[in-house]
Amino acid sequence: MALISTRALTKRYPGGVTALDGLSVEIEPGVIGLVGANGAGKSTLLKILLGLLPATTGEAHVFDLDTATHGARIRELVGYMPEHDCLPPDVSATEFVSHMARVSGLPAGAARERTADVLRHVGLYEERYRPIGGYSTGMKQRVKLAQALVHDPRVLFLDEPTNGLDPAGRDEMLALIERIGKEFGIAVIVASHLLGEIERVAGWLVAIDAGRLLRTASVSSFTERTGMLLVETDEPADALAERLVARGIDARADGRIVVADLATGGDGEFTVYDAVRDEAVALRLALVRIEQRRHQLEDLFRAGGGNDRFG
Amino acid sequence: MTASAEQPSGTIYDIGYRRYDGPRLGRRGAVGAIVGAGLRAVFGLGRSARSKILPWGGVGLALAPAVIAVAIRVLVGDLVELYSYENYLWGIGALFTIFIAAQAPELVVNDMRHRVLPLYFSRPIRRVDYVLAKLTALAAGLLALTLLPVLVLFAGRVLAAEDVLGALGDEIGALPGIIGNGVIHAIALASLGLAISALAARRAYAAGAVLGVFLIGGVVSAIFAESGGGLVDVAPFLNPLATLDGAREWLFGGSIAESPVAQSNLPLWTYGAGTAVLVLGSWAILALRYRRVTT
Repeated sequence: MALISTRALTKRYPGGVTALDGLSVEIEPGVIGLVGANGAGKSTLLKILLGLLPATTGEAHVFDLDTATHGARIRELVGYMPEHDCLPPDVSATEFVSHMARVSGLPAGAARERTADVLRHVGLYEERYRPIGGYSTGMKQRVKLAQALVHDPRVLFLDEPTNGLDPAGRDEMLALIERIGKEFGIAVIVASHLLGEIERVAGWLVAIDAGRLLRTASVSSFTERTGMLLVETDEPADALAERLVARGIDARADGRIVVADLATGGDGEFTVYDAVRDEAVALRLALVRIEQRRHQLEDLFRAGGGNDRFG
Repeated sequence: MTASAEQPSGTIYDIGYRRYDGPRLGRRGAVGAIVGAGLRAVFGLGRSARSKILPWGGVGLALAPAVIAVAIRVLVGDLVELYSYENYLWGIGALFTIFIAAQAPELVVNDMRHRVLPLYFSRPIRRVDYVLAKLTALAAGLLALTLLPVLVLFAGRVLAAEDVLGALGDEIGALPGIIGNGVIHAIALASLGLAISALAARRAYAAGAVLGVFLIGGVVSAIFAESGGGLVDVAPFLNPLATLDGAREWLFGGSIAESPVAQSNLPLWTYGAGTAVLVLGSWAILALRYRRVTT
């Protein structure tokens, strides 16, 4: 059973903004990164999956439950951490999280017990009895995570969970997310515009752009070796690229860097390496670095129409 | 977390993540939890002593006339009749205003202002459940002012009599009116107070708006009622408490000289209709307001 499946899911807001445009995707349990630029449709997708927003057309299922008809049942099984601030300042974390547990349907005793457990897991200790208004951003993010986790959901939807955190806070939040996925055994969908962070915790990526599915694949498949040779020289490398192309190698220059396809230019294992060496000597170029390049997550978006809004 | 050296071995400190296999009470449990938390907020329970002053002071002041009336009856018998079942709520109307102005904003403003609502709506309730739960909490809290004192008066009049059973027989006929009027007041006032509060961005604005509606309405209504001419018929509809008093008279009888209803020439059912418009209008405002909340 797929954790989440959508078919031709489209959402148009009144006023003409199309947030999702025929999105079809199947997502299996695990820690899944939902990546895309701000405005790509990530938050809209999460809200449709929670049954909070109706889709304009198309359909979506969570645990085989239709979001249009079984919203309440789905929301029992899901924990949701919104992107924005959502905490009342005048109550303590203990009081708030325990209230939210009860609103999720837990009896009072269980709500108290799980609140204590969950606040400990997210790393809130003595401060949990103080009003939330006095918390740091990092502590507030932990409370937001705790309220999403307190009713023992089967899947967590986290919308930009590292927003507003300093580098140390980011590391802790990412470690926590990883732990929830691996140790707690809860599926996690992390929506983020920060590929570098998602890469660290997610096993699978779903990339969307302008409401469309760009690509979905395992993170490891993105970071495999690519069969491209990257050559950096100490001066503009256009001449080198031209000479490589003349030898039948698929190469292009970008400033002082030439990228050459290792599978072209002949059958030999070191054909491209030899050609680079020979032509560099002929051109009297100094080589700064030669390395086999790995795919980077950014390629995901370049390949799909290309934009550099991710970082 | 690991066991430190001085602790006896064999104690597990980090028991890891525990799953929850117990009962889940669904929507019903969720609504019950919101009502319960709402009632605590209405009476300032679990909060500072300062937040208890207004609600409990209000309840105390609302009960005082009943207690005094019963005491007088015990001491001097039937000679003085300060408060009747009919005029009791009209007499303490100002307390409702203060109670609602102070407590209705507590229930709804912060959830809206600090965007807590998406956390509620991402749980197994619907928006209407949330609003109904908050209404129930405020109405139930208001019963401490609109029903409890009159019940105390009722109990006092029965128990202070020499012939308790005979007195019970005399008074029991008033009971449906006491309960009906108290419940209608509670529901109508809670609806109006919550609707006004839901439109305000901060608790202080909400409190001010509630006070404004009741006080300005009350003053203008009183002026119109004294003015004579055509305005006397409008007067009871400008003050929600007067409209409710008209509905009380229509349903359960008993005219009060001080109420603008006494000066008006309109048939009593119009106040019943006015009350219905007040309640349904408030619900419509709440429905529209909460539909517009983005999650």
